[in-house]
Amino acid sequence: MKALIVTCGVPFIRGGAEILAEGLRDAICAAGHQAEIVTLPFQSCPPSRIPEQMLACRLLDVTETCSVRIDRVIGLKFPAYLVPHPHKVIWLLHQHRTAYELWDHPAAGDLIHYPDGPVIREAIRRADRAFIPEASAIYTLSRNVSERLQRYCGISAEPLYNPPANAPLFHKGPSGDYFFFPSRINPVKRQWLAIQALALCREPVHVRFAGEADNEAQQAECGKAVRELRLGDRVEWLGVVSEEEKRDLYANCLGVVFPPVDEDYGYVTLEAMLSSKPVITCLDSGGPLEFVMDNHTGLIAGAAPQSLAGAMDALWADRRRAATMGEAGRERYLDLKIGWENVVDKLLC
Amino acid sequence: MLKINWFSPLPPAHSGIAHNYAMQILPVLAKRHETILWTDQDYVAPEVESIARVAHYEPANPPWRALNDADISIYHLGNHGGIHGGIWQASRQHPGIVVLHDLCLHDFFAMVFLRTLEQPAAYLAALERWYGEEGRRAGEAFRIGGIGAETMAQQFPLTREAARGALGIVTHSHRMLEELDETPACPVAALDHPFAPAGDLRYQGWMAARRATPGPPYRLVVFGYLSRNRRLDAILEALAGVPEREQFRLEICGQLWDESHIRNEIERLRLGPLVNLHGFLPEDQVEAQLSTAHLALNLRFPSMGEASGSQLQFFDYGLPTLVTRTGWYASLSEDTTAFVRPEHEAEDIRAHLRDFLTDPGAFGAMGERGRQSLRRHDPEKYVDAIVRFASAALDFSPRIPALDLAGRIGNDFTQWLPPDAGAYLLERASQEIVTMCARKARDRDS
Amino acid sequence: MAQARGLRILIATVRVPFVEGGAERHAEGLRRELLGAGHRAEIVSVPFKWYPPRRILDQMLACRLLDVTATGDTPVDCLIALKFPAYLVHHSNKVVWLLHQHRQAYDLWQHPMGDLHDHPHGAEVREAIHQADVELLPQARRLFANSRNVADRLQTYCGIQAAPLYHPPPESDKFYSGAAEEFLYFPSRLNALKRQRLVIEALAHTRAKVRVRFSGTNIDPGYYEGCVALARRYKVHSRVEWLGAISEEAKRDLYARSLGVVFPTLDEDYGYVTLEAMLAHKPVIACADSGGPLEFVVNRETGLVCEPTLQSLAAGMDELWEDRAAARRWGEAGRQRYSDLHIDWGTVLEKLLS
Repeated sequence: MKALIVTCGVPFIRGGAEILAEGLRDAICAAGHQAEIVTLPFQSCPPSRIPEQMLACRLLDVTETCSVRIDRVIGLKFPAYLVPHPHKVIWLLHQHRTAYELWDHPAAGDLIHYPDGPVIREAIRRADRAFIPEASAIYTLSRNVSERLQRYCGISAEPLYNPPANAPLFHKGPSGDYFFFPSRINPVKRQWLAIQALALCREPVHVRFAGEADNEAQQAECGKAVRELRLGDRVEWLGVVSEEEKRDLYANCLGVVFPPVDEDYGYVTLEAMLSSKPVITCLDSGGPLEFVMDNHTGLIAGAAPQSLAGAMDALWADRRRAATMGEAGRERYLDLKIGWENVVDKLLC
Repeated sequence: MLKINWFSPLPPAHSGIAHNYAMQILPVLAKRHETILWTDQDYVAPEVESIARVAHYEPANPPWRALNDADISIYHLGNHGGIHGGIWQASRQHPGIVVLHDLCLHDFFAMVFLRTLEQPAAYLAALERWYGEEGRRAGEAFRIGGIGAETMAQQFPLTREAARGALGIVTHSHRMLEELDETPACPVAALDHPFAPAGDLRYQGWMAARRATPGPPYRLVVFGYLSRNRRLDAILEALAGVPEREQFRLEICGQLWDESHIRNEIERLRLGPLVNLHGFLPEDQVEAQLSTAHLALNLRFPSMGEASGSQLQFFDYGLPTLVTRTGWYASLSEDTTAFVRPEHEAEDIRAHLRDFLTDPGAFGAMGERGRQSLRRHDPEKYVDAIVRFASAALDFSPRIPALDLAGRIGNDFTQWLPPDAGAYLLERASQEIVTMCARKARDRDS
Repeated sequence: MAQARGLRILIATVRVPFVEGGAERHAEGLRRELLGAGHRAEIVSVPFKWYPPRRILDQMLACRLLDVTATGDTPVDCLIALKFPAYLVHHSNKVVWLLHQHRQAYDLWQHPMGDLHDHPHGAEVREAIHQADVELLPQARRLFANSRNVADRLQTYCGIQAAPLYHPPPESDKFYSGAAEEFLYFPSRLNALKRQRLVIEALAHTRAKVRVRFSGTNIDPGYYEGCVALARRYKVHSRVEWLGAISEEAKRDLYARSLGVVFPTLDEDYGYVTLEAMLAHKPVIACADSGGPLEFVVNRETGLVCEPTLQSLAAGMDELWEDRAAARRWGEAGRQRYSDLHIDWGTVLEKLLS
């Protein structure tokens, strides 16, 4: 079978979606088929340019190649999943979030700052409602994404989990003296929440942050918060680390702190579970909540510094409990049978 | 309940829309919906703040973030460029409902494009957009003084320019846009101009005052800014031709565009004792005049099509009126108004005056029916209707980026696409755009 | 002129999914070179399906609608566009390095190997392609062509000037030479334009028992089968070998061991094969109507330029087969000519980004 994975990207920026697309392509090829990735450039600002790019996707023809049929098109993101094809399957990583749940988010909202934001938002919603149902099957990245799709568009779709890259390489090490928080540094991942919680901890909790900031201003803000709260010796900024280094950091941490707001999915949660480490997340964190079981594989705190501090203190003070939770986390991962074979089966059937 | 951005002139701006319309509507609107009053005026009267929150904006750079918190924006446009210019600029960028208080807007656009924004190219482009090459040439002639403003206003009303990019248009004249040939490409609602009548007690007081001065002589009143289109010449000529003219007095209340001419006419027609020129009257004297008048002469020709607040005021006073059968006035009922044909003004006025003498009571009854007809103009009904219309128009909002997109594509095509292939590609692109923005998903093709 | 460093550059091209061609490798090569020169470069490739003809119009419009002026807040400094219809994508600093136009609308119109003229809407689409090229190509800030052949076509059909800009074939540094063995090599996709059939028929007319090894994927359905049948019919099947799709290493090995390269392609845009042969110190047999290769093959100095007839091609293959010294001499001369032409990425980047 020939499957074309169609997605959008912002040139020069590589993120989770790119890694997922490659993982999917490799998995499809491993299953004996042919797969290629088509990445269309997508510029979402100013919003008035969005309808043009939606139309561009509608005008493409990926039904055949040199008289050979392309059997399946798998659409991952807006507006790439608008590309027409008689056997299109959507594996929805997320819709155009700032037209939906992030419309008025104080940091992430973007359409709302433009005079034509509202009409463009409505146009995006209208197009989603018109074209998503064209697909033969609709899956999503997670239950969180499914719920959003249901809530805003009245379309139901099954979540289809996929493993983090290099899943077999994650391993467990001894519990060290730090919590690990790997993520792009931006307001949506909420490093600032972890920093403020740290200031309220009773225990001498230590956090290592890995990842690069979306822009310099983000990094500066975090640094400033650390300085003002005098947490210089309790916080480490590791910046970008290699995949191997990252796995080691997972392996040797006491636990993972991951309190993003309304995360689509959250590979971090799964990577922590694969490393047999407990996860501390928040009630409004979205994706991670589909995996973390409170008091069993980790702790779910309220989305406030005090509550998060309490959770960090609890694990810091009781290492054995942390270790037990970590083991339970790994077991849960295995129980969930998250693997590429399942994904490929569903997307190509 | 909706959250509404409201853009209109507000007291103390010198505008009937500010003092009469807005102050009647806003208390009702603010009671039912969360309303923010956006203004670019330097100063807003304190009593407005007690009705709803007032927020300031710069027309060159409105605070979109704050504006986007609301569900819908309502913009009020009239023919005065200084008062409505900022509102129009905001409406162009941030689609909303545009309420047209005037339908002939050439004066407005001339001032905004040529004086406020200093963009003569945009002025000419607007004329060309709706009226083609002819419009552009007329605009060029206007700029050098070759054509007068009145002619431009009548031939090139530019109503559709005000509707460009709007979610919907509200007018207060039924079918007037069609008559002007200015039907826009968006939903249109024609609503009865709101008017809150005086309370019954006050009205009884006026009736009593009128009964106390039953006449003859019967008092005829003319009110307002009296330019040529108010037909004073015809009125004077008609009065002079009525044999029983001694039984009438004509009270002319308002600023005259050419006082010396009118005085000459009065003298020429030997109407001196019968006519009083009052000039502009303050509010309390207006009440005195109207409550004791017997017939109002509210003629206009040519009309710019828009609804008349003064006519509604005459109804409020239970005054029978003569109006010219044109524009919005033509939509009034024979029950409540007496009509004058534009081509037979003096003749018709004379006939009505003589009818009045035969049966003043019949005219009095017409006046009372006029008062009853104000029920249609209830501000509560108006607010309901406009909000209902706005909500419905929101449903069609993706139309706006769709049309924008089609326009941009069309422009791009002119660079590289020959006509033969163009027909196909326009159809193809249009189909996709329509599906993208349509209200219901299309059925999948089998 | 000092060259800017650290530019953000997008390369716009098209791709045909599941068919890898020279164009993809070209874009990749350009990208690698740009990265190596300290810039940030990415490829934007739009899937392209050119049939039925009206689809082409859809995709032309799609390219006009794409927005590559910036990524987020940061501007894209330069767009290097390579192929139709990707070169229609708008950018204020667009450099077109034309690999070729949509030939079916130009030199292949009414040609047996073209496909547009057979369709009811072929004429209107041809006119649209022509007008778009004429109106929009000059909007590029700089206009280059893959070869003089491509530049000449652009001039002839559209009256637009473009400067030829040669580039090295992929992995040019990995080619090497070796002792000549008993075969001529013809590496190329199997299709009518490359004219593998011509070689087969010519083999029937050679004096010597010339052997040819063909490698490459079949593009035109049925073409390969036709060639095999043809070889059988002309009873030369024992002198030809069909290697199919092979690895780059295997290809370089075959170049190195060949006696020479036979490449009688029709009106080729550019022709990596010619340059690869030269890099491998091997003579090239091309035809007088081969296009691109003629910018590199010098008759009787670095190879042979034959008439596109059976007799002429047969005679050429015979000459190479029978005069090994000449073959070797011409091969070395070919290598020297390659160097003399300064075909290198440094020059390319300098011209594209100046």
